Amino acid sequence: MTEKYTKQFIETAQRVGAEVLEVEDLQAVAKYISGITKDTTLVPDTDLSKKHNLQSILTTEGIDVFSGDFRTAGHVPAAGVTFCNFCMADSGTVVLESTNEDIRLATTLPEVHFVIADPAKILKDNLAAVAPMSSMHEGDDPKFVAYITGPSRTADVERVLTIGCHGPRELHILLVGNISSDVMEN
Amino acid sequence: MKDTSSYKENVEQAIANPKLSEALHLFGDSYLIARENAYKGLDFEEMRSELSDIKDNVRLNRKELLAEFVKNAEAAGSKVFIAKDTKEANDYVIKLAKSKDAKLIAKSKSMVSEEAHFNKAVKAHGIRAAETDLGEWIIQLAGQRPSHMVMPAIHMFKEEVAELFTKEAGKTISPEIKTLVDHARTRLRKEYFDADIGLTGANFLVANTGGIGLVTNEGNARLCATLPKVHVVFASIHKLVRNMEDAIKITRLLPRNATGQLLTSYVTWIKGCVPCDGEDKEQHIILIDGGREALYESKACRDALKCIQCGACANVCPVYQTVGGHVFGSIYISAIGIILTAFYEGLDKAKDITRACIGCRSCVAVCPSKIDLEEIILHLKNEVTKEYGMGVIKNVAFKAIMKNRGLFHSMVRAASKLQRPVTHKNRGTGEQRIIRHLPLHFMERDFTEWRDLPSIAPKSFRDQFDSIPQTLFNPDYKVGFFVGCGGDFVYPEVGVSLIKVLNSLNVEVVFPKGQSCCGIPALYSGDTATGIDLAKQSVEAFTDADLDYILCICPTCTMGVKRDFVDRLADHPQWAAKARDLSAKTMDASAFLENVLGASEKLSSLTAGEAVTYHDSCHLKRGSDVWKEPRALLNSSGHEVLEMKNSDRCCGFGGTYSFLGQPQISKQITADKVSTIKATGVKTVAMDCPGCMIMLKGAVGKADESIRCVHTMELLAEAIDKNKTKKQ
Repeated sequence: MTEKYTKQFIETAQRVGAEVLEVEDLQAVAKYISGITKDTTLVPDTDLSKKHNLQSILTTEGIDVFSGDFRTAGHVPAAGVTFCNFCMADSGTVVLESTNEDIRLATTLPEVHFVIADPAKILKDNLAAVAPMSSMHEGDDPKFVAYITGPSRTADVERVLTIGCHGPRELHILLVGNISSDVMEN
Repeated sequence: MKDTSSYKENVEQAIANPKLSEALHLFGDSYLIARENAYKGLDFEEMRSELSDIKDNVRLNRKELLAEFVKNAEAAGSKVFIAKDTKEANDYVIKLAKSKDAKLIAKSKSMVSEEAHFNKAVKAHGIRAAETDLGEWIIQLAGQRPSHMVMPAIHMFKEEVAELFTKEAGKTISPEIKTLVDHARTRLRKEYFDADIGLTGANFLVANTGGIGLVTNEGNARLCATLPKVHVVFASIHKLVRNMEDAIKITRLLPRNATGQLLTSYVTWIKGCVPCDGEDKEQHIILIDGGREALYESKACRDALKCIQCGACANVCPVYQTVGGHVFGSIYISAIGIILTAFYEGLDKAKDITRACIGCRSCVAVCPSKIDLEEIILHLKNEVTKEYGMGVIKNVAFKAIMKNRGLFHSMVRAASKLQRPVTHKNRGTGEQRIIRHLPLHFMERDFTEWRDLPSIAPKSFRDQFDSIPQTLFNPDYKVGFFVGCGGDFVYPEVGVSLIKVLNSLNVEVVFPKGQSCCGIPALYSGDTATGIDLAKQSVEAFTDADLDYILCICPTCTMGVKRDFVDRLADHPQWAAKARDLSAKTMDASAFLENVLGASEKLSSLTAGEAVTYHDSCHLKRGSDVWKEPRALLNSSGHEVLEMKNSDRCCGFGGTYSFLGQPQISKQITADKVSTIKATGVKTVAMDCPGCMIMLKGAVGKADESIRCVHTMELLAEAIDKNKTKKQ
């Protein structure tokens, strides 16, 4: 794993409608998010969010980090903020192991989804994802893994590409170094 | 949707309303560009061969893979039910819903649920199935069925959608696309929260994990699989793949081929009973056979199960673009729809759409699973003919006349004389022998209303051959000429030109007189018996002549000799080897000139100095992969080839298709071609197929008499003549 795919990843993700930004640290992430929304934000508890105190960094910036059962945060919360397991440069995709239901709710319900990705986790393409995807699925444990490529879209009315059908209307990918290089954690 | 009206009425209605066809054309054009961009830097042929192999392996090991999937899914907590048909599948869900007192099922897209008429089945038990895919919701509100696999409501316009939404919402929803999508987003969000059961389909059933894969764009499947307490997977058994690697490989083809996306917005992998609202979710996987096992057992048709449901065969199909998916299909539409309809709903339901295939092979060229859809459809045409007959005209023409070479050829000679009173000279190009109007009692008026018909040449090629001098000293090759009916009786000048071109390159042409029709018109109409007889006549004639190569000037004949003779005679021991031998030596004339003789170098001193546009014949480009060759030959001989838009889109001929089968559809497809030719502003259209010549000379002649349609061999011969005159 190297950072050599960063440039390609940024280009492909932007091409499918994602906002991609390289930022300094999580404080800068919080600042960026607060510039877009401070309303109800779902931030699931995960290994990385705990390790990096994501919730408190966001709260400090004045963002309303929702505490409680995500199912009661309303039908369409303002935002969801997650890390990711890895990215794929050829298609501009972020991959999230989302077995934890809060990750699924934080990435499907909100208007905007912010993903924090370490450039060290950008893989060349989806063939390079075969190995981590296979090991994630080893054993008998239930599993839910999501590839996310740009915001939700449809072309079902007159074949016109329209953004924001059922999933988030916006996908922002924030590239931050020194978060994690382990594709098995998010 | 007009399920009760006849196929013919549906075609007429579709053609009378060109709005849909126009939209599908625009979509088809933009699709091709998006698709091409999506495959940049990748080898589509290699990728699809690999996918085809993956699917072959699944077919061979399906029993073991199914058992492996079930074991792994159950280990992760899923309940798996194998349904022999869609009714069993519906009943399982109804029983499950009743046991939970469930009233609402939030449903994402599942084609097999369309096959099962699932919504109607559960409704009868007081259960509401809420479609959440935007396109599916639209057609559910309209009480219709999908007209495209990927874009179910592709046939509807925003005003119609707004009307449906307004009616359902009880308030005015304006017909802007953004407003319509927003309305669906808000309105359907509630359904996921309220639903007792979420139902999804599956693009993959991954055997070695026991999980499913879902390829989607809108995000509704993720919500259906997450919010409700129960997740039902409604999937057909042929979605099995060995492992994650194979599934991932398919995700590299599916979105690229479906919509020109590198990947859809969401690809979701779900295995077992994941956490749900503080508990474990209850997951039921229903694996439906519904005719798949029977299809796997059909040697001629089983490749259809390699389909990954990308919908590309519709996107590129000229018939689909003309009449839409409600006419050209049933639950599944277009090329793959013909085959699946025959197996899942019965041959009777498929017979009209089977005959509606024009045989242009554009679907074969784009299929990501490398399914030879046209060949399978050909087989089904034969089945349809066996079951329902092929009509009186074809019966007499093929069985009584064409099988008997002597009778056929003397009848053509007689016809050539009988037609004289109706033939004319084209005023623009000065071309002789066209039939502008047929006397009304002779045939339907529609035949010459929109195109001139060619007349039969006064002297066929076979009657001219002996009088053509060939004075070659020690020729490099001796080639046999398979003339074909169009070249023999309608355009003998093409063969004369071919001899001129070949002689100029020191190649001698032999014409075995025992040859007959290639048999494809009979075969495409489902008459295999006549096809076999005709194949034997020609194989015998050419084998006896002892030749270096056999050349055709008609790409349909090339395919007939190369592919169909071999297939038709495979089970005839005394013929099979000869047919294979002949096949190996046969090629299209322009392919021989360029690839064997390297003619574009040898002809490069010619100075034709004329701009031409080139029309790719379906069977030449997609049947023989020959398209660079004629361009190279034309350019080198001093012509300047200026490309028309969609040069490889069918001209609408399709043999008997344009006369007896589906003349109305033909007419529309031809009109498209004529307009792209006119748009180039070029006055000469080159092509390598007498069938295309019949169609285009006729239709272009009616539209603009100053445009000339001509065979590549004629242009090369003219360039040679011009050069000779200059030298003298």
